[in-house]
Amino acid sequence: MRQLKSKPFESYVGVYSLEEMVTKDSRVCVINILGSESRKVTPVSHEYSKGNVVAGVQYGREGKLETKLGDIPVYPSVREVIKNKHHFDTGVIYLPPTAVSQAVSELLSYNHDLKRIIIVTEKVSTADSRNIRFLCQEAGVDVIGCNCLGIANAWDEVRIGGALGGDAPEETLHKGSIAIHSNSGNFTTTMAEYLRTEGFGISTAVSSGKDVYIHFALAEFLFAAQNDPRTRAVALYVEPGGYYEKVALEMIAERRIAFSKPIVVCVTGRWKKDITRSCGHAGALSGAGDDAISKENWFDEYFGVGCYDPDNPVVSKRGVRVDSIQTVPVAMKAVFDEIGETPDFASQGDLSLKLWLSDNVVQVPPKLDMPMIEPLEPYAEQLGVVNKQVGAQYLRQSMSDKSGASRIDPMSHVAQLHNRSILDLSTNTLEENIYFSLAKIMPEEEDLPTINTLLNLMMRLDSDEMVAVDRARANGATPNAYLASELASIGNRPVLAKASEHISRVISAIREYGIDDTTGKIPEEFDKQIIKEMLIKKAPAQDTETEFLLKMVKGSKKKCTSLKICKHILTLADKKKMYVRDMQAFLLGTMTLCIFWKPLLRKRVSRQLVEDIPHYLYTIARTFACSVIDRKNNKHWQKLTGGPLTGLKSSFTENAYQFLFNAKPGETELLEFKYLIGLTLTNGPGTISAKGAKESVSARNYISMAFVGFLANTGLAHGGNGFEAVEFLLKNFAESNLVDPGDAKHGIDLKALAAKAAKEYGEFKVREKALGALRVKPIPCINHPVFKGAAVNIDPREDFICKQFAEKGIYNVFVEFYHLLVQELFNQGITRNVFCVNIDAVLAVIALKLVWDNRNAGKLTDEMVQNLVFTLFLYGRTIGVAAEIVDHRDRGTDMDCRTPQSKLKYVL
Amino acid sequence: MQLSGLRYGAQLLDLVDFPAPEHLTGGATNGEIQALIDKHGKIVVKPVFHEGVGKKGKAGLIRIVDNLHDALEAKADLYFATHKHGTRTVSANGVTFEEFVESDIEVYFSISESTTIRKPTFTISVTGGVDIESLTPDKISSVWIEPFIGLKSFDLTNTLKDLNCPQRYISPLVQNLPKLWDLYNSYGLSTIEINPLRLKRVGTRYVPVACDIKAAFDQDNPAHRRIGLPMGIFQSNITPFEAEINRLRTYQGQSDVLELNTKGSILPFMFGGGANSAATETLGDKAIFSSDFGGNPPYEKMYEISRISLKHHWDATNVLLVIGGKANNTDIYVTFRGIFDALRDHIAENGWRPVYVVVGRGGPNLIKGMVYARDILDGLRLPYKMFGYDTSMILTLEYAKRIDDWWLKEGNAKYAESVKLSG
Repeated sequence: MRQLKSKPFESYVGVYSLEEMVTKDSRVCVINILGSESRKVTPVSHEYSKGNVVAGVQYGREGKLETKLGDIPVYPSVREVIKNKHHFDTGVIYLPPTAVSQAVSELLSYNHDLKRIIIVTEKVSTADSRNIRFLCQEAGVDVIGCNCLGIANAWDEVRIGGALGGDAPEETLHKGSIAIHSNSGNFTTTMAEYLRTEGFGISTAVSSGKDVYIHFALAEFLFAAQNDPRTRAVALYVEPGGYYEKVALEMIAERRIAFSKPIVVCVTGRWKKDITRSCGHAGALSGAGDDAISKENWFDEYFGVGCYDPDNPVVSKRGVRVDSIQTVPVAMKAVFDEIGETPDFASQGDLSLKLWLSDNVVQVPPKLDMPMIEPLEPYAEQLGVVNKQVGAQYLRQSMSDKSGASRIDPMSHVAQLHNRSILDLSTNTLEENIYFSLAKIMPEEEDLPTINTLLNLMMRLDSDEMVAVDRARANGATPNAYLASELASIGNRPVLAKASEHISRVISAIREYGIDDTTGKIPEEFDKQIIKEMLIKKAPAQDTETEFLLKMVKGSKKKCTSLKICKHILTLADKKKMYVRDMQAFLLGTMTLCIFWKPLLRKRVSRQLVEDIPHYLYTIARTFACSVIDRKNNKHWQKLTGGPLTGLKSSFTENAYQFLFNAKPGETELLEFKYLIGLTLTNGPGTISAKGAKESVSARNYISMAFVGFLANTGLAHGGNGFEAVEFLLKNFAESNLVDPGDAKHGIDLKALAAKAAKEYGEFKVREKALGALRVKPIPCINHPVFKGAAVNIDPREDFICKQFAEKGIYNVFVEFYHLLVQELFNQGITRNVFCVNIDAVLAVIALKLVWDNRNAGKLTDEMVQNLVFTLFLYGRTIGVAAEIVDHRDRGTDMDCRTPQSKLKYVL
Repeated sequence: MQLSGLRYGAQLLDLVDFPAPEHLTGGATNGEIQALIDKHGKIVVKPVFHEGVGKKGKAGLIRIVDNLHDALEAKADLYFATHKHGTRTVSANGVTFEEFVESDIEVYFSISESTTIRKPTFTISVTGGVDIESLTPDKISSVWIEPFIGLKSFDLTNTLKDLNCPQRYISPLVQNLPKLWDLYNSYGLSTIEINPLRLKRVGTRYVPVACDIKAAFDQDNPAHRRIGLPMGIFQSNITPFEAEINRLRTYQGQSDVLELNTKGSILPFMFGGGANSAATETLGDKAIFSSDFGGNPPYEKMYEISRISLKHHWDATNVLLVIGGKANNTDIYVTFRGIFDALRDHIAENGWRPVYVVVGRGGPNLIKGMVYARDILDGLRLPYKMFGYDTSMILTLEYAKRIDDWWLKEGNAKYAESVKLSG
């Protein structure tokens, strides 16, 4: 087969001189221009090169890519680019690997003026690479890559292809006389950076890539470097694998190419000799003859000297080999001395160890010690700015149908919140789970009194302002509705907004003045700022809550920078005989900041969240407060909210139980209550309750309204079908004379009861089918779409709780009934196998057990019981949904929950 | 990804109807082995290696037998045989019993990519069955292949003629060898080598039979998955750590690792192919693994890579090293978030250890990334040194080694004690 040949090569090479390889006149079309990498890199390249990208292709799309020099038009195909009269000589490909050869074919088919293609993509198969080579050889087009970062010409300030020089190419790519050819894209830039330390700039740098096929290899490069008047020497970075260097050096030796400029080459990768699969560059896998040592020998033979030794520098006029890229600059200088030439400019900087950041806790021995050095600009300025930032940071994205808070474990199918199973979480107290939902870690023991105090206090605040709740209840609204009516009115409540402001101010001050645990004296400037912004001369009115909080803050022994600062502010106020403005908000802010300080510093939570904490805690506490059914006759509620401050540090879990059931819980009840709440924390981000909250966030509402979004998306269908299960159990136990569902000696023939229920259901099923029902209403809380198909099926969540009950000696008659029922359904041939009792049943049976006494005593109607079950579900989900709201506020974008027009359907 | 021998190689040859000897695996019954001997007179017993292994004959690992007793004895000897191959020692995992193919000629044939001429090339010799490097140039010939046409019959004919191949063998070879290009080109191979290929007389014809095969696959070419070879055969030399990391392999961002020394003390997160090559060389035995995590990996991938690395190697880690040149496109902030978030979470779950952290890196969002790492390390009370992009990467690596020596010798114990005392 005849092939194009360019003398002196046996193949086509279109580059005569590096000077012409890429220039200010090169015009570029980028394929997959809007892809994640190109979208960032192309504008920088375009601006550095003074606008050389004429168009881009994004298959199937049209549009533009914004740059500081104007928009780059984007077309759906190369054909359209050409049709719109955009002329280009260089194609740059950013596509995924399997699409690359297609794009090459397309470029060759439609652009007959094409001179070069630069392929940035990595992991292109060798088969595609050889096809690309054959296509381009026939067409007379040079290829650079694959898996490369392209070419940069520092004289013309042009870079084409990838991101040589990073996001600030002008910083690294200084004009000079060294041409670089490197198997590593990173080292192309790094060598350019290093060479400046001995006063060398670059002419043209080529990142060759290091796949099996290197399309613009060393021989072509040296030929073009020789013909480039700007280039006085060459710096190479070489890895094992392939005979490209041998070919080039043999061509020089055989005088097939004339090459007279010195070379400094760094060969690395001796260790790769024994590996059988690539690590790093795909082509850096050697056989017996092309390993690193072989390559070192080829060059040493060419130079006539061995590896460069800085202590005993010997170089030849042809150059020298170095063993690491840090030696390239000094070796280059030595070679220049040898040929009697001088560097391009005075040396800039050096490569010595420059310590930018160091801990201040461990003293290293003197020989390892060194001073910290202020980074060069613009890094020093950036350091000043970034130093003031604190907390986790997230990239904003569309969070519709996504969550960083909850998920369903694909293996166990159990919901997780912050990577912890709800089964584990169901053993925690409410206050622990509330903190965990927000902070993503469990609270420290010493913080629990503060968390309880804050939650209890917030229940007490505004305890007499529940007009909306009462009106909604009177109108027969369901629990979610009456709770929502009250939460909607929280808005940006001033005390909460001011607490957030205080938190923000304290965090800023701590970062601004670099204060930490080790800071001895607080800077005077800080005091001046505090006096100006936070202190007032007029004494504010006193209230019992504020006094209580002040005492608590002053008495706290916790080691925490934020607490230290807040105490300092209080002391400063005393010293100056002044008062802290909005004292209650300041103290609330202080306490919340104090318990969230560690997760903030460890970047578990964002600064935004910590500033929002008072809003979250208040909204959650308010949800519990508003659900108290008969406030006037609830002695526990009256004790907390009326009269003197007592019991604020007591467990929030116990308080919540007491408010809901108007009874003091025993140990068993408390455990059951915790299970109940824990199991309903989340069922993943796909639930409509979570979606309701997320949609509200995406519409940029206040936090309490996001909770309203969740409440508005719950209803009688919730609690799984626990609501219906209660009805089902009440019906089946109606004539049983059950006294205590927790007493195993209940005296009821449960097996007979289950058999009767199964029989009735079987008859019901037959009747319904006879009437032509397509789907017979199932018994609530049995069977599950995932946990089915086995001879005996088990829902692992229900199983977990049952085992917990058994371990702790807790009995529940309804659970036993359910287990007998699924067995009876199978025995009577109504089900094909033994169905599982699902997790919703657990919720129903625990709830029913907890209210059984009050119901039997006539204190609760069946409707009230059902409302109570619903409320219990809302408790758990309120806590879990808080995590979704935090997550969506941290990561989401405005309106990201919209459904695109293309996905909407009109139904007749 | 390599294989050798007929255990799986025959499956490859079947894809293109290329003749292979009749053979049985190690699980064959005595009756089946006896029947094979009865049919062919002699059989060849070979060990099965799960990767490309050569020079088996020279090492006495190929036995030709003509009775069941010898066959079973060979099986017992070879089933778990070890073989030093270059600098590596590999272990067999089974044997094959193969028909002995009578032939008065042995042919060597291979296809691979030539980096000298940058074309696929076939290499052939009619004095095969020996170590190919030992042949003089006049006994072997290489010819390039036009990829869109394939292996051309006239190239084969001319080459065989130049090599003085007996006339009677040329036609059967020319008829069959082009099938191997189809195999090579269609199923993502990067090398195929048949040695020896014997010519079996069947009636008046000669049939070339591939008596041994070595094949290597391009892991970036998904075509090899169509063959249906069990992936386990490529993982015999992959450690559990490498296997777990390999699952993250996508085209966006690198996740290459090679576990080097599980008793090493430096856990190195290397960024870029160049850094991988240079850093592994500089760190030597201290490096627990060699890695390349460059290519701008997204946060989730970097977090997972770090999580897995810490899961497997945290307990051995004395110094955690993050090293790379001045990145062109890799977002330092994103990668550092991935690494240090995973570190924080790992410590939260598995407990604290006194580990020193050394960082040498440059690139976009460098300061943001370094400060992010610093804040987490301060919170974790782990000591660190972070060097700017204007520091030599090699000096940073050498500094990390010196820190490692000191930290191992005395630093970490003293520090652990002081942390314990201060609560």
